[in-house]
Amino acid sequence: MKISIEWLQQYVELPENLAKLREDLTMAGLVVEAVTGAPDAPVFELEITSNRPDCLSYLGLAREIGAMYAKRVKSGRAAKALHVADLSIPYSIEIRDPDLCPRYVGLVLDGIRVGPSPQWMQRRLEASGMRAVNNIVDITNYVLLECGHPLHAFDFDRLRGGKIIAARARSGQKMVTLDGVERELDGEMLLINDGSGPVAIAGVMGGQDSEISTATKRVFLECAYFQPASIRRTSKKLGLSTEASYRFERGADWNGPPAAIARTCRLMQQLAHGRVAGSLQDVYPVPINPVEIELSCKHAENLLGVNLKSAFIQSTLKRLNFRPVRKGKGKWLVECPTYRADMELEADLIEEIARFHGYQNIPTTVPAGTTVGEPSSLYPYERSVRAILLGLGYSESINLSFANEQENRCFPLPEGQALQIRNPLTEDTQFMRGWLVPGLMRAAKHNFNHNQRSVRLFEVGKVFRRGEDGAVVERNSLGILGTGSLSPPNWLGASGDYDFFHLKGMIVGLLSGLRCAPAEIEPILQISWLDEATSAALMIGGRRVGVLGRLDPDLEEELKLKQAVYVAEIDFQELYPHLFSAVRFEPLPRFPSVERDISFVVSKEFSYHSLRQGILELKIAELAALDLIDVYEGGQIPAGRVSMTLRLTFMDREGTLTVDRVQGFSDNIRSSLRDQFGAENR
Amino acid sequence: MNAWMEDLRRQFEQDLAQAAGLDQLKSVRDKWLAREGGIITGEMKRLRDLPKEERPAFGQAMNQLREFAEVRLEEVRTAVQKAEQQKSRKQIDVTRPGFPFACGAQHPIKQLQAEIAEIFVSLGFKVFDLPEVEKDYYNFEALNMPRNHPARDAQDTFYFDDSLLLRTHCSTVQVHAMESMKPPIRAVSLGKVYRRDPFDATHSPMFNQVDVLVVDQGITMGDLKGMLEVFLKKVFHTELRMRLRPGFFPFVEPGAEVDISCIFCRGTGCRICKQSGWIEILGAGMVHPKVLRMSGVDDSRYSGFAWGMGIDRVAILKYGVNDIRLFFENDLRFLSQF
Repeated sequence: MKISIEWLQQYVELPENLAKLREDLTMAGLVVEAVTGAPDAPVFELEITSNRPDCLSYLGLAREIGAMYAKRVKSGRAAKALHVADLSIPYSIEIRDPDLCPRYVGLVLDGIRVGPSPQWMQRRLEASGMRAVNNIVDITNYVLLECGHPLHAFDFDRLRGGKIIAARARSGQKMVTLDGVERELDGEMLLINDGSGPVAIAGVMGGQDSEISTATKRVFLECAYFQPASIRRTSKKLGLSTEASYRFERGADWNGPPAAIARTCRLMQQLAHGRVAGSLQDVYPVPINPVEIELSCKHAENLLGVNLKSAFIQSTLKRLNFRPVRKGKGKWLVECPTYRADMELEADLIEEIARFHGYQNIPTTVPAGTTVGEPSSLYPYERSVRAILLGLGYSESINLSFANEQENRCFPLPEGQALQIRNPLTEDTQFMRGWLVPGLMRAAKHNFNHNQRSVRLFEVGKVFRRGEDGAVVERNSLGILGTGSLSPPNWLGASGDYDFFHLKGMIVGLLSGLRCAPAEIEPILQISWLDEATSAALMIGGRRVGVLGRLDPDLEEELKLKQAVYVAEIDFQELYPHLFSAVRFEPLPRFPSVERDISFVVSKEFSYHSLRQGILELKIAELAALDLIDVYEGGQIPAGRVSMTLRLTFMDREGTLTVDRVQGFSDNIRSSLRDQFGAENR
Repeated sequence: MNAWMEDLRRQFEQDLAQAAGLDQLKSVRDKWLAREGGIITGEMKRLRDLPKEERPAFGQAMNQLREFAEVRLEEVRTAVQKAEQQKSRKQIDVTRPGFPFACGAQHPIKQLQAEIAEIFVSLGFKVFDLPEVEKDYYNFEALNMPRNHPARDAQDTFYFDDSLLLRTHCSTVQVHAMESMKPPIRAVSLGKVYRRDPFDATHSPMFNQVDVLVVDQGITMGDLKGMLEVFLKKVFHTELRMRLRPGFFPFVEPGAEVDISCIFCRGTGCRICKQSGWIEILGAGMVHPKVLRMSGVDDSRYSGFAWGMGIDRVAILKYGVNDIRLFFENDLRFLSQF
């Protein structure tokens, strides 16, 4: 809110030094974000929190400053009661829905001459961020800024039947507001009607039909108190926020209307030739009582951790226009000013005490008591994953949790599982992500665009789906991406591009670092966004916990990646129960092991996995390790066949192996490969 | 005879000292020990010409000299050989670059999150991992922000349906902690939060927060200040001043905005702190009695405090990052700086 210092000074004496005023207001919870305006006409830009609608006016702010510096507030001109003489124009006010409109005050003025408002008024309005329109509109705005209570001026001659009715709209009812927009209403919105239809959306905006024009002669003034939540709902639903709705939805003063309408009337008499012509009507079927709160000095001391004097509490409250009535030692029943919409509980009063005591004067203490700290259950696993992957050269990323239409289409979830946002901000926030891979891809592409083509990234984060029962399922996932050259150009000659086996090897290494239960990488898989020829599933204990492979080349083309990208997505919640399995020490071997390499040519129909299984099924207890150390195709090797070299490591825990026994084992393996797979020795 | 022997010995040592390389060493050996024409061999031949009683002493002396020469020759030969081997081994240029092993880069936000979580565990807090897709109740209702509460304006929210939304803050930990624990409660939650703010240098529809709750008997606002001070000093690794001023959050009363002395100018005033010397860093306050009550905590017996802080904002301040979007682009040139 913009506050002109010149105008503010009309109501309360300000300190000479504006920097001090700014500092003091800020420390009282009224933040002055900036000082603008000309040097001789400074303007404070205040941020008023939504609990303090009473400070959304010059008088309200003056009250606060008056309390701060113990200065009297000059509100006389605004508060004087109105005496009404000429009552020649009859009209009626009816409240049909008092729950939404507890109080409605009206007045008719005749003899109005619409024209520009005086310069001083225009200057003050403009300094406060409002545009001058004409004297009638300007006066209502002026009073709004002065006392904080919204008013509305209707052209009385455009109101039909001399009637004002405050009632809920009919669902589907329509009206055109001041801004020329036709608005559709619902049955929970409060309308101000005349004898034949709506003339204003109560507390939000008036109608176009009854707008003040240069031809206006008679004015009907409305000053009412509307129920805050109802105004807020209407304003939100219509997407229409005005100076009036902003104040009403935060809570106006239900005792404010008489003074506000009197002030408006007087200004219209002075500045627009107005003459009161219709009685001041104050329809207020069920008066609202001021809020009363019990306050105990002890409670305040206990909550704030300070010692307080009863006299201080009492004088602070009085300065702020509260009425404390003593109810025993250190206890009061406090009546709150009706403009303090934020007052409800004792804690609200204690905050007032704390504000005036000064937050800076509360001594710093350390909370007593001890509790044992506990990290979140996934944290130790995440931390290890992070440490290992960072060590292996993968950088950690944080990607947006959203997905757009294209990502949703290219990385589909099973029918009905995509989680759609009802009110997206842009097309990039239409869905919640169901996978981490698309975000990693986006990050990779960003890096490609900046000429960084060797990228290793991972992310640990949440993915979102709709479960079968419609409930949202949120799971922690681990996404990994690798692409580009294996290492930066170097003179040592190590080169080549990242491929499937780097991804797989890294995952196996990661799992081993996490002491994972035995895992298998299996070829069978149907994931549309992975290359069918280069994709696999990560299986642990017979369950699929993740997928890995090369991105589908068509997708790489669609996303204009221009290079092969390898990705993995592992369901972290499926994975972590298998991690950090209990350690059982196995004594180190006391006898040396013996290595034998065997080479053979075999049909490519047989996967390495099946050959390996074939050998393991021989159950040679002394076979301690089995490694694939060379693969060769082409050249003299017939098409459809492949040459492999296996390194077999034998070891006997009970004694030194003899050459004969080792020979026996490897012969056994050779002949088994020959018989089962047709492997020929090389 | 001794003088004569010493003389021979000296001559031999001189020859040895002058010998450079294995070839010359061989010549020295030949000169002194060759079967034909060696100096020592020649001297030995003189044995026969000596009187019988002098022969044993002479023979012994000559044998000693020969042994000495052989030991010395071997010693020097080994040393020379070693030196020559060393010389012939290839000298590497150690100033060439090593193999380009590289660690991955840590994300600054994740790094801060881990640091903050560890600080809180050390202070006796339980860390909650909470849902990002949240019920309206946990995000708003139970935090004293019923429907049509104007404070909801400050947190423009993504919705899935009328009751399901993306959490706008981690203050949901207040409700979850009070529902699942009995006082004394020390709870904290970190993670992503979402608001419908379009991207610009200081706004992102997704950012990160840490929210704290302490509930026990006799918790005061002084305790809030004390723990805040401990926490902020640990996070910023520096001495700093802190100030609280009244602020409004519907779930606390009294509420406070917390400023720290500007970490760039140390409070003297600069562009970052808009010449004020202070930087707004978080919101805090005493847990609102209604919030305690709604989550089943007796507000006449217990009190508590809570605070919430943007982690991205801390990272921005701590590292001088000038655009929040950098945190979610994952540009390797950015990440590798942390």
